[in-house]
Amino acid sequence: MKNQSIIYLFLLLFSMSISGLAQDNISPQRKMAIDSLALEKVRDLSKYISIIGSKETAWSEANRVIERTLELFSEGAQMGVSTINQPKVKYYDIRTYLERLMALNYDKVKIEWFNIEYMSDLERMPDGRYVGVITIYQRFEGSSGDKMKYMDTTKKDITVYVERKQTQIGGRLIGFWDVLLGDVRVIETKP
Amino acid sequence: MRKYISLFLWSLLFPFSMDGQNWNLINSEQTSYEREEKSFYAETKQVNQFIRRFNAEENVLGIRLSSNDSLYHSSQLRKNYINMLFDNQNTSISDMLKSAFINDVTQDANPKFLDFHGGEWFGETFVKFDRGSQEVFITLFMELVKENLGSKWVVGDIYYNPYEDLYGRDAGSGSRFLHPLSHELDFMNLDRVFKSGNHTGDYFYQGFHPDKLSIFMYELRNNTLQFNYVSGVKFHFFQIDGWYFEITEFNRPGLNRGWLISNLIKLEDGQKQKLINFIYHRD
Repeated sequence: MKNQSIIYLFLLLFSMSISGLAQDNISPQRKMAIDSLALEKVRDLSKYISIIGSKETAWSEANRVIERTLELFSEGAQMGVSTINQPKVKYYDIRTYLERLMALNYDKVKIEWFNIEYMSDLERMPDGRYVGVITIYQRFEGSSGDKMKYMDTTKKDITVYVERKQTQIGGRLIGFWDVLLGDVRVIETKP
Repeated sequence: MRKYISLFLWSLLFPFSMDGQNWNLINSEQTSYEREEKSFYAETKQVNQFIRRFNAEENVLGIRLSSNDSLYHSSQLRKNYINMLFDNQNTSISDMLKSAFINDVTQDANPKFLDFHGGEWFGETFVKFDRGSQEVFITLFMELVKENLGSKWVVGDIYYNPYEDLYGRDAGSGSRFLHPLSHELDFMNLDRVFKSGNHTGDYFYQGFHPDKLSIFMYELRNNTLQFNYVSGVKFHFFQIDGWYFEITEFNRPGLNRGWLISNLIKLEDGQKQKLINFIYHRD
């Protein structure tokens, strides 16, 4: 996982440093590159959720993956979870959400992701950072013994923050775009 | 799989251009997973996607079209997209009105597009608060404003029935005042003002209107109101000249789902401001 982060950083530095540091607005080509990076983060999140939720994952490994997952998010990010039958939205901090996922009382858990990733336009915020929303869909199945206990499909709208940062490499200041995940809206959905 | 999805979605947009062979292929190979995936592709997943579809700025798989692409802003693609952007279970929007709207916004000579930063649209959110042991719903009107380098949503106004009845002039308002020599008695007649209940405002400066946002903020700050959750959101668009439409998110089975047009009105001269006032509950 650390290797992956290094690859991201390298790719970002490689692809973003070409245009120099003075750039404030993002060109369409650059936006596409940032979209890809944001989607990679969301794919990481999907993968980690599947690992944390799986009953085959050892407790210590699940805890390690929770820590990795938290690194994807900005501080204070929340999950707002709602179901079809109840209009109420419950808000969880990311750690609580993941720990609840890990502690689900099923013998077997299967988490599948649909092959759909919808990325909004990136919009600039007053502080100069950019924000986008990526929508993905997940199917969850929990079973105990031979019986299916619970199944749902959820739509996840994930906030993505994109920030221009600088790092020093070999005495040179290099600009790059950093991507962090933010609040996630989770809605049960009926296909 | 993506190829089948794409074919399927194109078939929805261009029903006469699809040959029967492909159609059969899609139906026979459908699994529950694929059916679900199709409905998720068809769903207008974000307000952002509503705007992109309305403008024909993305393909059926949701991938942004380059401005050089022949389909970008294509009026034929827009006609098909916009037709799918209506809540098809809503019978109050007539086919005739729908067609008039679609034809107006897609006419080649003067096409009309939506612009995220174009103003003239706002959100209406229904938020549940706890007020002591009571649960109450307050409507927050959300407005997108520019600030510094970017933009942000702000609470522009609110609607909460108890705030609406705080003060209103009536036939007796003219007879409620502190006479001009009240000062000689140390304003002891203020006693009357503060016992006058709903009429207290008659003793305030001329033209006084309660500021609902201030009352709301005060009640939040002293914990009279405590945020619970957002129970619903819709958006009102006045960006298209001569038209008003509302979009709502529909979470239901099938292909006609997500952010869809739930109300459409052809505006006559002078109606726009009246309708805005009506939505905001302003007299």
